[in-house]
Amino acid sequence: METLFHRKVTVTLKYIVVTLIASLLLMLIMSAFAKREYAISIFLGFALFAMAITYLTNFSIPMKFFLPGMFFLFAFVVGPILYTVAMSAFHYETGNYISKPEAITQILSTGVRPDANQTTFDIVIGEDAGKNLEILASDPTNKKYFISSQKSKMDLDPSTLKIDGNGDVATAPGFHALTPSEQGALDATLGKARFAYSSDYFITIEGGTLGSLKRQTLVYDKSTDTFKNVLTGDLYKDNGTGDFANIKSKADILQPGWRAPIWFSNYTKLFTDPQIRKPLIRVFIWTVVFASLTVLTQFALGLLIAVVMNRKLFGRRVYRSIIILPYAMPSIMSILIWGGMFDTEFGAINHLFGSHVHWFQSPLYARMAVIIVNLWLGFPYFYLITSGALQAIPAELSEAAAIDGATSSQIFRKITLPLLLQVVSPLLVASFAFNFNNFNIIYLLTGGGPSNTLGGDVAGSTDILISYTYKIAFGAGTQNLGLASAISVVIFFIIASISLYGIRRSKVLDSFA
Amino acid sequence: MKRWLKEDLWRHAIALVTCFFVLFPIYLVILSALSPTGSLQVTSFIPKTISFRNFSMLFTSPKIPYLVWMKNSLVIAGVVAIFSVVIGAASAFAFSRLRFKGKKQGLQLLLLVQMFPAILSLSAVYVIMSRVYSFAPRIGLGTQPGLLLVYMGGAMGVNIWLLKGFVDSIPMELDEAAKVDGASAVQTYWLIFVPLAAPVLAVVSLLSFIGTFNEFILARLFLVDMHARTIAVGLQGFISGQYASNWGPFAAGSIIASIPLIAIFLSLQRYIISGLTAGSVKG
Repeated sequence: METLFHRKVTVTLKYIVVTLIASLLLMLIMSAFAKREYAISIFLGFALFAMAITYLTNFSIPMKFFLPGMFFLFAFVVGPILYTVAMSAFHYETGNYISKPEAITQILSTGVRPDANQTTFDIVIGEDAGKNLEILASDPTNKKYFISSQKSKMDLDPSTLKIDGNGDVATAPGFHALTPSEQGALDATLGKARFAYSSDYFITIEGGTLGSLKRQTLVYDKSTDTFKNVLTGDLYKDNGTGDFANIKSKADILQPGWRAPIWFSNYTKLFTDPQIRKPLIRVFIWTVVFASLTVLTQFALGLLIAVVMNRKLFGRRVYRSIIILPYAMPSIMSILIWGGMFDTEFGAINHLFGSHVHWFQSPLYARMAVIIVNLWLGFPYFYLITSGALQAIPAELSEAAAIDGATSSQIFRKITLPLLLQVVSPLLVASFAFNFNNFNIIYLLTGGGPSNTLGGDVAGSTDILISYTYKIAFGAGTQNLGLASAISVVIFFIIASISLYGIRRSKVLDSFA
Repeated sequence: MKRWLKEDLWRHAIALVTCFFVLFPIYLVILSALSPTGSLQVTSFIPKTISFRNFSMLFTSPKIPYLVWMKNSLVIAGVVAIFSVVIGAASAFAFSRLRFKGKKQGLQLLLLVQMFPAILSLSAVYVIMSRVYSFAPRIGLGTQPGLLLVYMGGAMGVNIWLLKGFVDSIPMELDEAAKVDGASAVQTYWLIFVPLAAPVLAVVSLLSFIGTFNEFILARLFLVDMHARTIAVGLQGFISGQYASNWGPFAAGSIIASIPLIAIFLSLQRYIISGLTAGSVKG
């Protein structure tokens, strides 16, 4: 009886929770759809559908466990990864952020020049009887007056008009001037409006009472998908990589471009364009050196301490508590503090050694600093791991060797170390992979510097692949999301192969079967 | 006595040198937190005057909403720690105990996804969340709930993987016995697994908490508003500026922020370390 009651309560609770989440999702779907975010609404719709099937029927028991986790994983990890892969196939950088129709609209609106004489008119903004926007323009010098709408121009006979002392007219038959507040409401429209003048020229409003004569110099031809500069006669064609380029000189392109699919060009550029290839190779080599040196030094010091303390020692617990402090402290703060300590003038390091080293100005010293700080941050981890592993090695082995006459250094090299390496090698590989992408330490300690930015080269001496890519994508200069995404995908393959190697060794995949 | 010298002296020497290396920066932080000038400039390694001005500044200065930052960090890290483990544990249980088609592929996908450097999908996350902002301003870019959702997604892979390692080590006999008694998978999960794994779930939550507490890049991208910031972003703001004198409050703030983490870590070292090795193969 009691269990039946419990069951009823839990089932009711389940329906309440499912209904709540479902209505929340439904609300989000509707508002996403209203804002035309179709991809997101389809994803959420799919999630809603899956939730209903899973929790209201017994369609699949495992799905009952997986669904919430899958939702988050797909929404915020798998989704962005796929998006990144997609971006890597596009010409997607500063100047090429928008879609092609948007780019054409922008080129058209900026491809306008004033006429040669910089002619202006005194104007009154108003509307006709049908509420269509019009201007009443006066040209006092030539005594010409006309009303111009966005479609047509109508010349007026000066003799029918009331001309004031400045030679301007304020009103005309059939023309209703707008009050300032009415104009204010139309601000956005007025800024863009073009009023008819002649077949080539039109008038735009420059201020409340001034209109200037302009001409569309860049003309778009939809049938051939080309822009023509009517002044010079130059033709601009879609060059296939997201820009309209002059057919006579490829470097002459119209701004802005658009994000165009260029498939594998971002990838081939990595190997063929020397401006990208050279820094990339340099950064790649340093990344490997940095990750190897980090793992090596961290492991060596960790092992040394573990060996030293692998024995009853007075104050061992105190030593141990102190030594794991760097691992327990928030690493961001530790890195920032070390950054301050390496300061040339006031830093504690120079003060301690009485030296005057410009740590972050010289590539060599900056790299040393990075390794030292990373050693400080990471060796406690290896100390903890190796001291655990050392204790797991049976004492009989070394005792037997000692009886056979082996010295303690022989025992260490021939017995302890090989056994230890067997246990920790997957951890070494994992640590290598982690440091390969150790963004925080580079970004917060040196910012990738020192770098020689004169040649437009953003790669600094301590930049590793990931911080270099970050600079390409979000740096101060040109931001190239397409190229950065391509490098990300390449890094992914490198890390995946390193990790797979580590996993094979540790035989984790065997348990999948 | 001679043997002691030979056997232990060098050990003490190495241990002491290492302790010095470890404590040096920590000592400096304390020094500059207590220094009235509030800089990391070292004129002497022994303080001449001690002042708590930097500490009191954190709590009284209207320009430094330190307590708000701390609260933000604790709330965000806490919510992520609890929910990501609750959600992750269910998936880990299914991976470890249930039989179904595509299990191997699922685990491989999980591994693969974790190998993609998270920072590099930053721009994609940014674009996606700015779109979410356009229709749901409360959970989009620049909001704490939005950041929370992104953290949950990021924590999922690691947590599922870590927890699966733990679940694998719980003896199978118990849930087999439950099955014999007629319990469904869902009942086994709630009645057998969750109570058994409670300590493990707590440890993984703590690891998740520490990880989130330490996160910086996403938090900086998301939280622009001074009062929405987390402690890491807020404190970094002090010294990324041009005034070196901000080292004082930075140091004081770091010390206070570190205390809960160090306390958690030292009291639970044993569990956390076993968690490290269990999850270490994740890559």
